[in-house]
Amino acid sequence: MGIKKEKRSSSSTSPCAKLRAAYHDCFNRWYSEKFLKGQWDKEECVSEWQKYRACLSQHLEDKHLSRFLVAESIFFPCVQDDSGRPTDDTTPGFS
Amino acid sequence: MVRAYTQEHVYRHPWERVTSASWRKFTDPENKRTLSHILEVDTLNRKLDPLTGKLYTTRAITIHAPGPWFIRKIIGQDICHCVESSVVDSRSRSMQLTTRNVSLQKFIEVEEKSWYEPHPDNPEGWTAFRQETSIRIKPLSALASMAEKVEQRCAEKFLQNSVKGREVMERICKYLEAESSGISI
Repeated sequence: MGIKKEKRSSSSTSPCAKLRAAYHDCFNRWYSEKFLKGQWDKEECVSEWQKYRACLSQHLEDKHLSRFLVAESIFFPCVQDDSGRPTDDTTPGFS
Repeated sequence: MVRAYTQEHVYRHPWERVTSASWRKFTDPENKRTLSHILEVDTLNRKLDPLTGKLYTTRAITIHAPGPWFIRKIIGQDICHCVESSVVDSRSRSMQLTTRNVSLQKFIEVEEKSWYEPHPDNPEGWTAFRQETSIRIKPLSALASMAEKVEQRCAEKFLQNSVKGREVMERICKYLEAESSGISI
């Protein structure tokens, strides 16, 4: 069926692992200690984010994912309304 | 053909702790062994709205999803890329996540929506978790007969992984609880 095999080398972004860990650590701390306590007026971890993101844009080769890095308008394609509920009211089940 | 199911769980931890745990679930290295199907998680975008206290995040999640050999043969790979979009509303204490696959869409569409909200019976102490998953296998005519089986298998796999995910969440919550009552950092 002439389909090209992809290597299971999913670690296309692993060169960024260190920067990613540094950013996630910083974010987790900010989230618990500031954001959840109502101190959301200021973004933190900016330098960690910039370094991590620069690395990502260099290494994120997957075309499915890289489009999420570029355009601002497609940042949140899946977010629906403010109520946080799905718009359809079908009842899912084990059918 | 769509297979859909809903799962619910009550965490006996406050919403703040549970959502903190949810951010760590895929990224803490100690969970790697339990959640071995998660190969890579990257934060692609993040936006904080300082007026409303809402935090928007887009993450890329790379999942290892090995199927039967004939599926691998057809699809040609056994990893799947998903994008997770989430909103945390700090004011109303709600977290909503939507995850969809962005690769292999020719074959399968998975959408998983999750909510973390304060539990109505104990809003300060407990958190209600709800997850709706729908799996749709594209009806390729040659594969139609086996598609049903694949869907079933897929659903089972998702359920198993979901249980693992909850175990990890409970563990991180306990850890965070100990951290906050013991050493204050």
